[in-house]
Amino acid sequence: MIPGMILKFLQDRGAIAVSGTRDANRVPHVHYVSGWDVEPDQQTIRCSINRAYLDYLFSSLEDNGQFSLTVEQIGTHETYQLKGNYAGQAEPNDADFAAHQRIAERFAKAVSALFGLSEEDCRAFISSPTVIVRFTVREIFLQTPGPGAGRRVFPPEGQ
Amino acid sequence: MTDSLKLPNDIRAVMDNGIPAVVVTCSVDGIPNATIISHVHYVDEWHVALSFQFFNKTIRNVRENPHACVSLNDITGNTQWMLDVQYDHSEAEGPIFDEMDMRIEAIASASGMAGIFKLRAADVYRVKSFKSLNKAAPNQ
Repeated sequence: MIPGMILKFLQDRGAIAVSGTRDANRVPHVHYVSGWDVEPDQQTIRCSINRAYLDYLFSSLEDNGQFSLTVEQIGTHETYQLKGNYAGQAEPNDADFAAHQRIAERFAKAVSALFGLSEEDCRAFISSPTVIVRFTVREIFLQTPGPGAGRRVFPPEGQ
Repeated sequence: MTDSLKLPNDIRAVMDNGIPAVVVTCSVDGIPNATIISHVHYVDEWHVALSFQFFNKTIRNVRENPHACVSLNDITGNTQWMLDVQYDHSEAEGPIFDEMDMRIEAIASASGMAGIFKLRAADVYRVKSFKSLNKAAPNQ
């Protein structure tokens, strides 16, 4: 199960997320994530992805199932990367659209305050969900800039 | 991705807009790694440079498997640039390093990370292809 401190981070503080996949030739690809939600098993994450980022997404996931999700709190730079395995796709539901709205609002407030951009432009930048990628978390790494970056927080190192 | 390898001039403004970018790499055993980075440096029409500050997973990955995907964010234009790149070499001195060092220091100072961001090398990547995604387009 994902540790409580990470669940709280995902729920309350994460403001921007990006995912990575790789194809059969080990060439990596970027897919922005416009919302996320943890399923009741506390091990599976639902990631909202807009159609702009579908190139290579499902062909890569069907080839090897590898999925990485990096989530950052804008301003503090607190960042975690969650790595895991593809668990299927779904149509976005009401909770996914609500998660997208929550993240777009959080992103807009943080980026507007930091970079002086209009909240409207920032909100529009977080595209609405087209599809949900579900993945099961296998490992979580601290990625906040600094000497501790890269430390595995789940499962704890040594296990 | 476009077949043209020459980066257009208007991409420079996006690299300099201060908005963090993203790089995804892949380990030799096939695990992708997604990282938010503070700066992508324009070297010339065929190359960009990323900062090597810590010996992290991105640095290890591109030395094992040189492919990477970089995304640049233009929030006011509601556009993202996706670059397929390949790690070429590192420079720990010279004009590219010096320009990046100054830029990283400025970003660190502005974002409260002074003393944490420290450039060890400029990692230079060859651009293999690129595309822009205008998310305001009707089909997106």
